[in-house]
Amino acid sequence: MSAIGQYVLNGLMQGTIYGLVAMGFTIFFGVMNVIKFSHGDVMTFGAFGALVAATAAAAAGLPTGVQILAAVSTAVGLAALLGAGISRLLILPLRSAPPLNLLLMTMMVGTVIREAIRLFFPNGTNSQRFPALLPPGGATVGGVFVRYDGLILIVAGLLIIAVVHHIINRTRFGLAMRAVAEDQETARTMGVNFFRVVPLTFALGSATAGFAGVISGLYYSEINYGMGLLIAVIGFSAAIVGGLGNLWGAILGGYLFAGLQTVVVATLPTFSEYKNVVAFVAVIALITWRPTGLLAERASERV
Amino acid sequence: MLTRHRSTQDEVPRDALPMVAGVSARRASDFAIFAVVVAACAGAVAFLVHAEDQRVVLSALVACGMAWFAAARFRVIAAVERGAAGHPWLARLVLVAACLAVIVVLREDNFGLLMLATVLIYATVCLGLTIQLGYAGLSNFCAAAFLGCGGYTAAALGRAEGIAIPDLVVILLGGGVAVAIGSLLVLPLLRTRGHYAALTTLAFGVMFNVFLDANELLGGPQGLKLAPITVFGWDFSNDLDLFGMTFSFYANYVMLCLALTAVALALVGLLDRSWIGIRLDAVRLDEVAAQVFGLRIARWKILAFTLGNVLAGMAGAIYAKMTGFIAPNNFTLGDSLMMVSIVILGGIGNRWGVLPAALIVVLLPEKLQFIQEYRLLLFAVLVILVLVLSPGGLLPRRTRTLVAGRQA
Amino acid sequence: MSAVAAAPAILEAKGLSVRFGGLFALNELDLTVRRGEVLGLIGPNGSGKTTFFNVTSGIYPAAAGSIVLDGRDITREPAHALAGLGLARTFQRSRLCLPLSVFDNIALGAQERLPQGVIDNLLRRRTLARAVAALAEEARDLARLFNTNLARRLDEPAVALGMIDRRRVEICRALIGRPKILLLDEPSAGMTHDETNQLIDEILDVQRSRGDLTVIIVEHEMGLIERITDRCVVLNYGRKICEGCFREVAADPTVREAYLGHS
Repeated sequence: MSAIGQYVLNGLMQGTIYGLVAMGFTIFFGVMNVIKFSHGDVMTFGAFGALVAATAAAAAGLPTGVQILAAVSTAVGLAALLGAGISRLLILPLRSAPPLNLLLMTMMVGTVIREAIRLFFPNGTNSQRFPALLPPGGATVGGVFVRYDGLILIVAGLLIIAVVHHIINRTRFGLAMRAVAEDQETARTMGVNFFRVVPLTFALGSATAGFAGVISGLYYSEINYGMGLLIAVIGFSAAIVGGLGNLWGAILGGYLFAGLQTVVVATLPTFSEYKNVVAFVAVIALITWRPTGLLAERASERV
Repeated sequence: MLTRHRSTQDEVPRDALPMVAGVSARRASDFAIFAVVVAACAGAVAFLVHAEDQRVVLSALVACGMAWFAAARFRVIAAVERGAAGHPWLARLVLVAACLAVIVVLREDNFGLLMLATVLIYATVCLGLTIQLGYAGLSNFCAAAFLGCGGYTAAALGRAEGIAIPDLVVILLGGGVAVAIGSLLVLPLLRTRGHYAALTTLAFGVMFNVFLDANELLGGPQGLKLAPITVFGWDFSNDLDLFGMTFSFYANYVMLCLALTAVALALVGLLDRSWIGIRLDAVRLDEVAAQVFGLRIARWKILAFTLGNVLAGMAGAIYAKMTGFIAPNNFTLGDSLMMVSIVILGGIGNRWGVLPAALIVVLLPEKLQFIQEYRLLLFAVLVILVLVLSPGGLLPRRTRTLVAGRQA
Repeated sequence: MSAVAAAPAILEAKGLSVRFGGLFALNELDLTVRRGEVLGLIGPNGSGKTTFFNVTSGIYPAAAGSIVLDGRDITREPAHALAGLGLARTFQRSRLCLPLSVFDNIALGAQERLPQGVIDNLLRRRTLARAVAALAEEARDLARLFNTNLARRLDEPAVALGMIDRRRVEICRALIGRPKILLLDEPSAGMTHDETNQLIDEILDVQRSRGDLTVIIVEHEMGLIERITDRCVVLNYGRKICEGCFREVAADPTVREAYLGHS
């Protein structure tokens, strides 16, 4: 029973991280019709920023609360800046290029970020220990042991999802964003400042990734330069399975992927190394079954 | 009305206008230019591969870059294309002679020949990708996985006790297994478009790698060892003595790879200049229009996917046998991306472009030791620069001109 | 006109409906087109004209009803099977393969009779060269019908052509497959008045030179419809609201109402 609880909590944790990352993919696609594959590495970048900020705050003897605040704000800020910069300098100028070129370009941007962290962060090739800032221990609820930090992080992740949803659906900026997503030309003639809205959109999506980076660091107490690559593939998968451009689809996809991994680990412990193989097979099968994702409306091509 | 027509005609590139006067004289001079350029390229390749001193390599590279820029600027590349088109068989002869000359010059340079063979392996895979990505517009971000299929096939067949399959058959089987495993992806690829299709291959590539890592039978992360190739009793691990010269045993592999690359080049060229080439282009450019005019999209996509995977699988089998050892690390997502980069760097859809692009991508990090550590970083920056500044690549693809006649 | 009226039906739609979600893009449409006829399909934006083309050419599935082409039910035929049955079309927004040469684009229209096999394509190079020469000749003849220097520009990329020439190439591409019926979707879109007039004359020439070719044309340019068509069908909200020669149709109050809105 307690084992199952642990699995569920782990799965929820993973799903929250995947969902946060997938949300970025789906937002970028909705607005610009691009896949920004460097998204996972933007997350890593945020996580490393958080590590530096938390370490510095700890060295300055600040209380844990301030350390957490420093870590989160640095991660979110750095990731947002990086995402906005990539969109302004590389994606916007190339927006009329073939999708393949753009996809490849963002993959290469991801490589640059990854390699830069590896080469220029002190001892960057090895994994870095992430400080434990959340209260240790946990409580047994109904025979299930629940880690406090896990619970806090899941709640925080859900909160961020709600905030992003609110920004997109309830603010003026969100309205401008949705207008650009609906019809770029019309939005521009209606007075939407395209060259401001797009980088801001990328900043928003990247900020959630930065937050996911902190969550990942806090929960696994370890980060490394290469962690963004697999997360990017998984986040992309989750966004695709849910249906690109659909926010709830991305979150559903994230939890689905984590759920599949967890089921494999829980039911076939000897095959746990194959958890990603099984999950990816399921992803490919799901896309084959629903070629435009689970939640996307079947867009008919205009002829 | 009339002025409108004239203005559109003026936009036509000068090369496209029919040559009327002095055709044969121009052809002869174009061919001379072709021969000189091929010789220069061969010389440059041999020099670059052989040079050891970092400063020499770097200045040679800069010189090559400037020469390339000048060649593009003064329409030398166009003249080379015309020259080759004028005398196709003679042009092929010159190319073969140039390749042989490079091998002779580098005959005792083990490492240089190994690099050359690796370049040819990559070029072959990228020619397969040219059919898939460049012609049919099929996403393939798992080319390294199909290379791996061929490699692991060769390794597994080599370990099987009691069955002795000739190595040439093993290479063909490598291609066959790549196609068979690729066929798992056919249905997903036919049902999806654009980014959805891209993700399918991406996920497959990652999955393939994780699978190899976890699979004990295939050696896990440690990989597998392989025996060298033997063809008709000739062991490829022996040095060659020919015409009083001694050739490193890697020359065997270079020749074999050269043959495979030549076959791939011919295949891609014939395909391009046929009705199938037009159909594949139509599938890439406009599926709806293609369908309305009677194209069975699935058929042509499957054909393109299969041909590309055969090439990757065969190249993989040779690669594995040549290096004598393979591990999951050789077939990562990064490698797949490198192959797509080569195709785009060379000029997507231009089969000759993959050769210089593969050369740059494979040779540069090996030659410039000081960038070893930074090679991925610099490579990624290079690809970004090419995508931003010259999206057509080194040799942008030309419009197919079937009516005017043949091209090399 | 009377000869056409007596000719047998080549395309017949019965109770044809197409649905997008809850919306009927076509609602129980009955339409008969006779062999050799030039039929105009008109109606306000969103009335279902292009949808009719898309369902006829197999791009959209029909929700109900049937389409019969030359005695054969094609309602469930996939798009790629229809070219072989004698149906060809152009598109509202030009759908040429712009990077390809004019010849490649036109050849796409003839692809049904070009060899499909890999061996035939890769190894029988002499046969291939002869086929290219023959098809190029045919393409030139077609292009000449349009009375331009288009015939000399077969090897140029389509992107180098002006708008009107692109339209011409699109029509050549549709004609080279020797269709029984040709669907023209707004051939005047994106062209000037002069260009449109020129194109009308050319289309009429082509139609006359191929006596039994049936043409259905969707158009907003009423001058073009008046000059070119034998008969018109007016659609509104996916239903046929009127049918007859252009003058009858133009005088019909329901048609005026559909175009001008409720007065």
